[in-house]
Amino acid sequence: MTQMTNLLPGTPPKNGKSIVAAIGGNQYLLGILSFAAFFAIWQMVSMNVPPIILPAPAQVIAAFVQLTASGELVRATAQTLWPFAAGLIAAFIVGTVLGLVLGIFRPAARVLDPYIFVFWSIPNIAWLPLFIAWFGVGTLTLVIFVFVSAVFPQLLTVESGAREADSFLVEVARSLGGTKREILRIVVLPSALPYIFAGLRIAVGRALVGIIVGQLLIVATGIGYMFQFYGETLSLAKYFAPLIVIAALAVLLNRGVNWAEQVLIPWKARAFT
Amino acid sequence: MPELEFVNVRKSYQSPTGEGLLALADFSLTVGGGRFVTVVGPSGCGKTTLLRMAAGLIPSNSGEIRLDGAALTCPTPKMSMVFQGIGLMPWKSIEGNVALGLQLQAHRRKLTEKQTALIDTTLAMVGLKGFERYYPHQLSGGMQQRVGLARALVRQPEILLMDEPFGALDAQTRAVLQDELLALWGRVKSTVLFITHDLDEAIYLSDLVVIMSRRPGRIKQVLEVKLPRPRASYDVRAEPEFARLRSIAWQSIKEEL
Repeated sequence: MTQMTNLLPGTPPKNGKSIVAAIGGNQYLLGILSFAAFFAIWQMVSMNVPPIILPAPAQVIAAFVQLTASGELVRATAQTLWPFAAGLIAAFIVGTVLGLVLGIFRPAARVLDPYIFVFWSIPNIAWLPLFIAWFGVGTLTLVIFVFVSAVFPQLLTVESGAREADSFLVEVARSLGGTKREILRIVVLPSALPYIFAGLRIAVGRALVGIIVGQLLIVATGIGYMFQFYGETLSLAKYFAPLIVIAALAVLLNRGVNWAEQVLIPWKARAFT
Repeated sequence: MPELEFVNVRKSYQSPTGEGLLALADFSLTVGGGRFVTVVGPSGCGKTTLLRMAAGLIPSNSGEIRLDGAALTCPTPKMSMVFQGIGLMPWKSIEGNVALGLQLQAHRRKLTEKQTALIDTTLAMVGLKGFERYYPHQLSGGMQQRVGLARALVRQPEILLMDEPFGALDAQTRAVLQDELLALWGRVKSTVLFITHDLDEAIYLSDLVVIMSRRPGRIKQVLEVKLPRPRASYDVRAEPEFARLRSIAWQSIKEEL
């Protein structure tokens, strides 16, 4: 195969690889280069503005190490992680199951869809005073707030996914003798699977926003509170520490979802790798 | 031998303006006896409607479709259908797609040892040995239709319904698959009801060519093809009898265009 390609007219020999092709072909190198450029720009900007506007990378790293060593950052991360995970997992399960049910049973969707749409359209911040009045100031309210932030994108994406099932494949399964249940298992559920992951990606983002906003406004603990405290006291170097944690969490979760998707959806032909 | 009968079958569709559109009128035909029967006709003459009714996928408005004398209203394990669009499940391997033919026939997920062996031999029969673990998107169109054929044949159907199965394939692949289909048919001895708009394909494959009129579809003419089999063993298309049948069929269809 390789030999064939080289025989084609106009195909350059492989040993004369350009630098652009070499960098573009290596994902890790590309990542390191972009990271280095990011820090270089940051350093340059910080040298030209007062530290109150943007601290230098070294100061931020020092503050990060200090906050980690004192245990403050670790404690705050733990306080953030548990309600976040509880709310997100609950939202994923409820959103997926309800989304499938509504996608498959149209009468149920006709009754519930308007309500879901109204709830989804209301900015989640608007719920907060109500949740505090109902569930008090505490972790439960936080979990519920994260849940409400994440459940609707999961539900709506899965619902439209379940509706996406190819009617031709349904007919094929029917011609082979498939019952309603078998068609659900063989055609509808697998076609909804990519949508379950698409929904999860949005839900993760919304749950992250939910937990930070919740901790800022409800319980004054965790990462959210660190943002508030170091923001208001203008300790910007320390302010970046929780930011790094949240960014790392977001990247980690996104990678996790991508990985799970590739394992669970091996049949997908990917246009871009 | 099993028999599939259409008795005065009539089918109309509701058009968007609310009027009834008569697709098929008083259609009567009997296929069986392990024969290879092909229905040809101008586009829109109700060929596919005919086959979907035979498969039990859609009901007729009046008249009756019978299999071995019993009225047929829903898909039956005694028949298999091969579609032009193939319709493989993208999330199932080649083996998994073929297994579906049996799993949905018996309504059992777990395959018996006998069934697994049957899947293996069927895959070998259509030339897909070694491709068991591939996914459909990794196969060419011709190979995908072999999987479609295997999924139908693994059910050991009495009647095989084929809706323009080679219509989307290139000419070479189509010719190869026509020969393979004839070879397979010689082995499994099912009755075949085949739909196509390609006259050469119809004459080459069939014992009987049914020519339909334009919509509403009725049987216009039936041609018996007595060219000896196996037809892959000589140049059938060069035979004077082939040319004669082709000319008759073409004249007949031309009036309907």
